[in-house]
Amino acid sequence: MKRRLGFNFFDLFVLAFCVVFALICFYPIWYVLVVSITPYEQFLNTPFVLAPPLNPDFTYYTGIFTSNTFLRSMSVSVVVTLVGTSLCLLVTSSVAYAVSKTHIRGMKLLNAVAVFTMFFSGGTIPTFMLYKNLGLLENPLVMVIPGAFNVTYYIIMRNYFSYSVPKELEEAARIDRANDIQVFGRIVLPLSRPMLAAIGLFIAVGYWNDYYTYMVYCQIPKFQPFMWALRRMLTDATFTSSTSSAAQQQLNIPKIPALSLRMATVIVAIFPILIVYPFLQRHFAKGILIGAVKG
Amino acid sequence: MAQQTVRLQERKIGFTAYLRKYWFLYVLAVPGIAFLAVFSYGPMYGLLLAFKDLNMGAGILKSPWAGLDHFKTIFSYPEITRAIMNTLAINALNLLFGFTFVIFLALMLNELRFKKVKSVAQTFVYLPYFLSWIVFSGIIQTFLAPDYGLVNSILAALGKGQIVFLSEAGLYRWILVVANIIKTSGYSTIIYLAAIAGVSPELYESAKVDGANRFHMIRHITLPRIVPTIAVLLILQLAGMFSANFDMVYTTYSPMVFETGDVISTYIYRVGIGKAQYEVGTAMGLVFNGLSFLVIIAANKLIRKMDVMGIF
Repeated sequence: MKRRLGFNFFDLFVLAFCVVFALICFYPIWYVLVVSITPYEQFLNTPFVLAPPLNPDFTYYTGIFTSNTFLRSMSVSVVVTLVGTSLCLLVTSSVAYAVSKTHIRGMKLLNAVAVFTMFFSGGTIPTFMLYKNLGLLENPLVMVIPGAFNVTYYIIMRNYFSYSVPKELEEAARIDRANDIQVFGRIVLPLSRPMLAAIGLFIAVGYWNDYYTYMVYCQIPKFQPFMWALRRMLTDATFTSSTSSAAQQQLNIPKIPALSLRMATVIVAIFPILIVYPFLQRHFAKGILIGAVKG
Repeated sequence: MAQQTVRLQERKIGFTAYLRKYWFLYVLAVPGIAFLAVFSYGPMYGLLLAFKDLNMGAGILKSPWAGLDHFKTIFSYPEITRAIMNTLAINALNLLFGFTFVIFLALMLNELRFKKVKSVAQTFVYLPYFLSWIVFSGIIQTFLAPDYGLVNSILAALGKGQIVFLSEAGLYRWILVVANIIKTSGYSTIIYLAAIAGVSPELYESAKVDGANRFHMIRHITLPRIVPTIAVLLILQLAGMFSANFDMVYTTYSPMVFETGDVISTYIYRVGIGKAQYEVGTAMGLVFNGLSFLVIIAANKLIRKMDVMGIF
């Protein structure tokens, strides 16, 4: 009888499990958002954050958007993301299209050479030495240029050009005496626009979230990206946040940046991602990125 | 037939004529080749540094040879053993809990019957993957902070004493494992869900006619279908055995948890870049990159013998 109702304890368990885990994944972001608009004194009284405060306090956001350091680092991040993404899309997609024509001499070899880099790399220090020789060390260009070829997205794009762009259309255009340039520009690129948009978003998220390149190779405060500005603020507070208040009083540590300010900065850092997330999700759910693992 | 004639014609024409015919495709490949050569293969040339004593003025090539001295030096550092053990331990925990949790989560999401709930749940569980580790570690620090942190507030409400989580070496690995599950497991289910979506619904219907319940269907239809996917992802996971996620550790650790949390990549970074011991740092990188490469080749062979598809 139970089965005929179509809902049993198994379903209940599945539902509960999924809902609880989804809330665990979402709650941290909600928590950060609520704390960022709660006055600190009020937060201390109610550490179990659930609902947004009745008297939201946006002063920390105005603080961020009037701070020169943050405004500057934000514009650095925006420029790095836009330029880096365009460059990476251009370089990676054109080589991926060329290699998808496996019957052309040399393309199979080129593919092997490219895929090999997915499994073996020179490592941190040789990369460091290379940048040093190329003059990329302590040069803001280092945040953009070395990422221009991305092997993961290369594989996805190559598979897409090989399997998802109908061969018949290309053949038909060739019969109509279209040359390679016309086939690429008028047929392949327009048909690949959804894929390019999706991968472009992933690349953009990668550039926006990148702090490592700046940390290891750049280190010019003038050009610090937003993630690094956030990192600095969070770590300046790390010592104090991992010490108890009693110890803090003993050591006489100066007052840390208010928790709410830190949380507001986190929200600003993830805001662009939240904006593009619906588009991201629509694309990756379709399985465009599955090709990556099938190599 | 048509393709064969094309091939025959191509074989007849000379190299320059061939280039002239397909010049556009080669031109498209040029920037990619250039970036590959400089930024992917360039550092591989720098691996020579592991066998040299660097003389900054002379450059890598003209610096004197050092033989295997730097490799011997690596293992004279006591911290390297610790870093290897920590890396293996953290990866083993991730494999044991993280990897299996992803499969379980994928099965659960697949069994979820309410379409609306399912799409909202998926939206939420994929989201943390896109946040940078800087953001995520900031959130972890806030949640685990003494005094005002959420977890300590709960402990206080339960009458328990305060724990300074991120300074407890004994807890650090577990914090990483849990954080990693929350951050990445949702996104990792996508590939399993795609594999499950390929199962023909008729299989489930005929199983239902034969009186199978949902457990039977998961056990005998869904799971066998995703075994190849599990195998492939397992290879990738094994290949990463020596390369713990740098971002994850670097953004959350502190000297207080080096004992259980300092991993190979963070150690190489501190020695190679922090202390400017370029040769030893390079040698370390070479050893562990090489090891990972061997593991991935071996694992791929093994999986092929098991008669499911490999990754190459």
